[in-house]
Amino acid sequence: MRFLESNRFRYAQLLESVAVLLMGLALHGAILADEHDHYLKSVRPVLQSRCFACHGALKQEANLRLDTVASMLRGGDTGQAIQSGDASTSLMVERIAAHEESSRMPPEGEPLLASQIEAIKKWLNEGAIAPPNEQPERDPREHWAFVAPVRPALPVNTAANPIDAFLSEKYAEKSLVPQQDAEPAIWLRRVSLDLVGLPPTSDELKNFELDHTPQAQRLVVERLLNSPHYGERWGRHWMDIWRYSDWWGLGEEVRNSQKHMWHYRDWVVESLNTDQGYDQMLQDMLAADELHPNDLKRLRASGFLARQYFKFNRTSWLDETIEHTSKAMMGLTFNCCKCHDHKYDPISQEDYYRLRAVFEPYQIRQEMTPVGIDFQKDAIPRAFDCNLELPTYVHTRGDDRNPNTSRSMEPAVPAILRWEPFSIHPVSLPKEAYEPGLRDFVEEAYRRDAESNLMVAQKKASEAKEQLDKAQGVPASESETENAARKTAIDVATGEFVIAEKSSEKWRLELEAIAKRFAADRAKHGETPVDALALLVRAAAISDLSLALAKAEEGVARAELESLKSTPATKEASEKKVADARTALELAKKQMDAPGEIYVSMRGAEKSAESNLESEESRKKAFPKTSTGRRTALARWLIDRRNPLTARVAVNHIWSRHFGRPIVATVFDFGRKGAAPTNQKLLDWLAVELMENNWSLKHIHRIILSSDAYRRTSSNRNADPKNLAIDPENQFLWRMNAIRMESQMVRDSLLALAGELDLKMGGPPLPAADEKSRRRSLYFFHSHNEHNKLLSAFDDANVLDCYRRGESIVPQQALALENSSLAMEMVEQITKKLTGENPMAADVDFARTAFVRLLASEPSRSELEWMETSMQKIRSLSENASSENAAKQARLGLVRGLVNHNDFITIR
Amino acid sequence: MAMNSKRINSRDMDSANRRAFLSNCGMGFSSLALGAMLARDGVGRVNDPQDWQPPNGQPHFPPKAKSVIWLFMNGGVSQAESFDPKPELTKYAGKSISETPFADVQNPEKLKLARVTVINDANGQQRNKLYPLQVGYRKYGESGIEMSDWVPNIGSCADDLAVIRSMWTTDDNHGAQTQFHSGRHMLDGEFPTLGAWVHYGLGSLNDNLPQFISMGNREYWNIKDGHYLGPAHDAVPIRVDPANPLDFGKPAVGLSEAEQKLGFDLVNGLNRLRADAYPNDSALEARIKAYELAFRMQTSVPESLNFQEETAATHEMYGLNEPETKEFGMQMLATRRLVERGVRFIQVQHGAGGAGAWDAHGGLKANHEKNFKAVDKPIAGLLKDLKQRGLLDSTLVVFASEFGRTPGTQGSDGRDHHIFGFSVWMAGGGVKGGVVHGATDEIGFHAVENRHYVTDIHATILKQLGLDSRKLEIPGRKRLDIDHGKAIDEILKT
Repeated sequence: MRFLESNRFRYAQLLESVAVLLMGLALHGAILADEHDHYLKSVRPVLQSRCFACHGALKQEANLRLDTVASMLRGGDTGQAIQSGDASTSLMVERIAAHEESSRMPPEGEPLLASQIEAIKKWLNEGAIAPPNEQPERDPREHWAFVAPVRPALPVNTAANPIDAFLSEKYAEKSLVPQQDAEPAIWLRRVSLDLVGLPPTSDELKNFELDHTPQAQRLVVERLLNSPHYGERWGRHWMDIWRYSDWWGLGEEVRNSQKHMWHYRDWVVESLNTDQGYDQMLQDMLAADELHPNDLKRLRASGFLARQYFKFNRTSWLDETIEHTSKAMMGLTFNCCKCHDHKYDPISQEDYYRLRAVFEPYQIRQEMTPVGIDFQKDAIPRAFDCNLELPTYVHTRGDDRNPNTSRSMEPAVPAILRWEPFSIHPVSLPKEAYEPGLRDFVEEAYRRDAESNLMVAQKKASEAKEQLDKAQGVPASESETENAARKTAIDVATGEFVIAEKSSEKWRLELEAIAKRFAADRAKHGETPVDALALLVRAAAISDLSLALAKAEEGVARAELESLKSTPATKEASEKKVADARTALELAKKQMDAPGEIYVSMRGAEKSAESNLESEESRKKAFPKTSTGRRTALARWLIDRRNPLTARVAVNHIWSRHFGRPIVATVFDFGRKGAAPTNQKLLDWLAVELMENNWSLKHIHRIILSSDAYRRTSSNRNADPKNLAIDPENQFLWRMNAIRMESQMVRDSLLALAGELDLKMGGPPLPAADEKSRRRSLYFFHSHNEHNKLLSAFDDANVLDCYRRGESIVPQQALALENSSLAMEMVEQITKKLTGENPMAADVDFARTAFVRLLASEPSRSELEWMETSMQKIRSLSENASSENAAKQARLGLVRGLVNHNDFITIR
Repeated sequence: MAMNSKRINSRDMDSANRRAFLSNCGMGFSSLALGAMLARDGVGRVNDPQDWQPPNGQPHFPPKAKSVIWLFMNGGVSQAESFDPKPELTKYAGKSISETPFADVQNPEKLKLARVTVINDANGQQRNKLYPLQVGYRKYGESGIEMSDWVPNIGSCADDLAVIRSMWTTDDNHGAQTQFHSGRHMLDGEFPTLGAWVHYGLGSLNDNLPQFISMGNREYWNIKDGHYLGPAHDAVPIRVDPANPLDFGKPAVGLSEAEQKLGFDLVNGLNRLRADAYPNDSALEARIKAYELAFRMQTSVPESLNFQEETAATHEMYGLNEPETKEFGMQMLATRRLVERGVRFIQVQHGAGGAGAWDAHGGLKANHEKNFKAVDKPIAGLLKDLKQRGLLDSTLVVFASEFGRTPGTQGSDGRDHHIFGFSVWMAGGGVKGGVVHGATDEIGFHAVENRHYVTDIHATILKQLGLDSRKLEIPGRKRLDIDHGKAIDEILKT
């Protein structure tokens, strides 16, 4: 469930807007509210939802606007839209009620309902009375989110933290009384889970309780922000927003995302831990290949683009790239402009394809790492500009089978959000970027591979020699059959030995060839004199041919052995193989006579197929020496101080995760259809603060976490009754919001409390089905097709789209916590741990300790009694209620119960 | 199972508020689905249009059916050899389509609706050489609907079936499975399936059982249903194994029933007592309800799969005594038991392996013979059993596959994917019996009469359940007209 604001919230809003409306009417005096009721209630909303998009502030098709009665009377190209007092002669009625689809308005979607048409007619017949001072729709360019944020002045009140100052302003405005602070232990649990995703340890709880100094909370926040687990916890948040996914496809075929995406995950975690600016992070995600083409660590960031990979349809691939780059980084829903101009925002269909042009040239390749030459085992999935000249066409009605090839679109960002020309500077790449085989570790990796193969081959050769000696050691016999068998054995062993020798020779030559190829490649891309280069190239070519010859000799040896072993049935086929191998050998020998200049350059990267149609040959094409610079231009535009969206969208996401609810509810849509901010000053202040502090995310966390607002209880208890009436859904944060733990946190908390958590960071993912692993949950393989079952029960991130995690409450969650082997094992460990701390504890003391440890809250008297009674009942199931086993069962039962407690999986 | 609330109440809980809370969280779970309840509490959104309401669990107009049984044959059933026999195929066997009087079926204009996912795939191609019928056919029932000899048992229910012979879809590959369930081509993204919409829209028929259940083989296509409606609306997958029917359905380590019961009381008591510190907390209330349902599910689900109380005649009727029909027969019997107990939507997928067992690119005859053998008797058993128990009127049964198969041959003895015309049938739930609706051309290539896209099936089902799909829309998630489809009124009883 993505949308968490409840209905009641809506009613509150509705009431509010009705109140404002009524006030407005009252102010304009004289007019009776009900005279305009009909227009305002039954006519204007219909026009607004169905007509304004083309006949309003955004667009004025046929020069007609329908957003005021005056403009309707004024009309457009075909005359007045309405006739007051006469529906039957009003053009509007004629068009909305038209029978023919071709002349009916609105042109898209379903016709207006009969009741809506009747309402419009009634209003017209009654004189089409306009409300006084009716205002046209505002110019969409003035929409709050399209105007760059300016740091708002701090309200004059006493709050030390600007956040509290802005919130207090709203409390005063709405007559809300903020709640008191949460218990200190609850605050500690909250901030620990929030920042590192793990509950406080018993020592941390104890120390915090004892520390009464004013900086106690600040020190906790610093400790947590400096913990490497901060990056793991917040990395997972940003991975949600950036749609992290491991690859998926059919069987072994990669169809979506890419292999080895974990490099990108590790980059996210590390960047957060070192507090890379958010601006730097976005830049690297979009354009590390242009900005840092030789920095493999930063290139990991382009996993963001690699994740968008879709093998079967380039348009779908780019559509998703555009949709989710826009939603995640700009808070704009671009996707509807694919087929037609945006109905709500000033973005045209051409804008969409201009943005597509920014991404058009990019493709994905796997970049070799020092780990080795096998791209299946390890590599870094990364973007690069591949098809520099590929044009981008507008697809008529969004149909990729119908491109308008008369004009190709220039790469650009939407006109409305351009404050200066969108300038693009092509990037000349360093040689290692377009010829990754030149990287030192690549040669090293190939050599290592060949050396280990050589060693294997040599070992085989010496074994084969032993076998041969053994065969030859068998004494000749009197028996003819035995002798024949002896001879065959010797022949086979000889054959095996020859193969092994040839194979060793092959790998030796391979090593030699590797060195020569690299020397030639380096010379080619360096400033080598022509003569010297020619010599190196020739040497490499000869070396390659010698290698080919060795391979051919090995081939002949293999074929001959096979032929030796053949049965009458396979004889013919194997003899043909021998003949073919010999022909190949002759050819290889002949080629040695005229070595030429052809050799195999060493590959340092492997391109992922552009589509299921791309040939192997095309995949091996040389990489371009320049990159278009389009994505760099996009990134720079995004992080420009004048961009009105980027920083606001980021702080809104951060706020949402700290407080359980965003300031702008539609986190991926800040456009005109999106929700208004509940506190724009607060949002803008935070956005400016982010930009003016090197886009430091930790800086924003610090401010938020040191606020009074963050300290408040999430309870309604003892709240001013007015609060519940005025703002029952806590829109204005007069208390904290309780947050359901995310899936990862549920599992990690259980492991941590049990003392079982393995804190090893980073590296390749764990299999999704691994129940034994004790590592943190973000390391599980997570794709559309494969996800950890336990995590799935708790609204795990949807890899297709996850701007906010769901917080569903379903029975499967109870089953998972009650019955899964992981939960049961952790319950056992937690019980053991708590028992170890005080083996002789009475039930009531054990219960108290367990309650505090798991929920960070003191049990009430009745809770304590209930726990004690329950433990007593569990004891009584045993034969002897005071036995050690009965005590153990009671404790296990209690801990199991606490793990299933609502407040265990809730951040209070 | 109710905790001793009096006892707790007598302690330090005194406010009227507390009493209200306890009664609210008590056994009175009313008839609302948890999903619907949560939808009410949770899916509303700021700035939603004022005329939008999340569903309240009630139908929008009087329903004709209560439950849906959705039988889906993975891989694609050949329409010509099942519910739309085409003798012309035999007559023109071996001829290229262009040499027959039906050459115009391959007019490129008519093939345009195909939306290719895997370009130049080996499958999903035009197959030119007509392949003769691999099985005979005859008229069944009083209505005389023509069906193949592979479905004698389903045929014996002909007078209860409405056969729709004029379906079309657009994905010429097995992404059409997702498309059949969600109404959208996979290149458009992922969308909620029909079952999820029904679950989202309607309340519960039984507070002890999940309301949307899936069984069978669903490896090939995405196992999620809810998508933007959320995982609360995903089907709960069950296995027809009373010992282990649900994921996490029983404790990984043995606990006695008494221990479980005490554990449940402990948790519920503690959660209720927390309301003292956290009054008016809707999440806490929902958590208590979810926990209660979870506890009940642990017994209600295995109980509904326990066939011991079924008679020998029933076992026989569903084919439980024959190895070929046993597996699917058990799923059908489980289906009836679940419907009987009040489960809203049961989705059963038949055919494991590859993209689905019915995907007969080669060896069609052996393939379909075997697959029909496995499902024909169990499905007929289900229909007859529902009928004799008076459940068929309120239960809508659908038989479908993602597409049909080509009139032409693939390889020497197979048929390829075919999206331009194929068959689906429905029974019960207010659907007319013994009718054929729509038609394909002489060789079963194009649906030519009363053409229906897959969402027309959705619309028909929703209509019988009393739901208006347009009232189920979620703001910000625009649905197209074609996503809603149009109910096939011609096959509905008035």
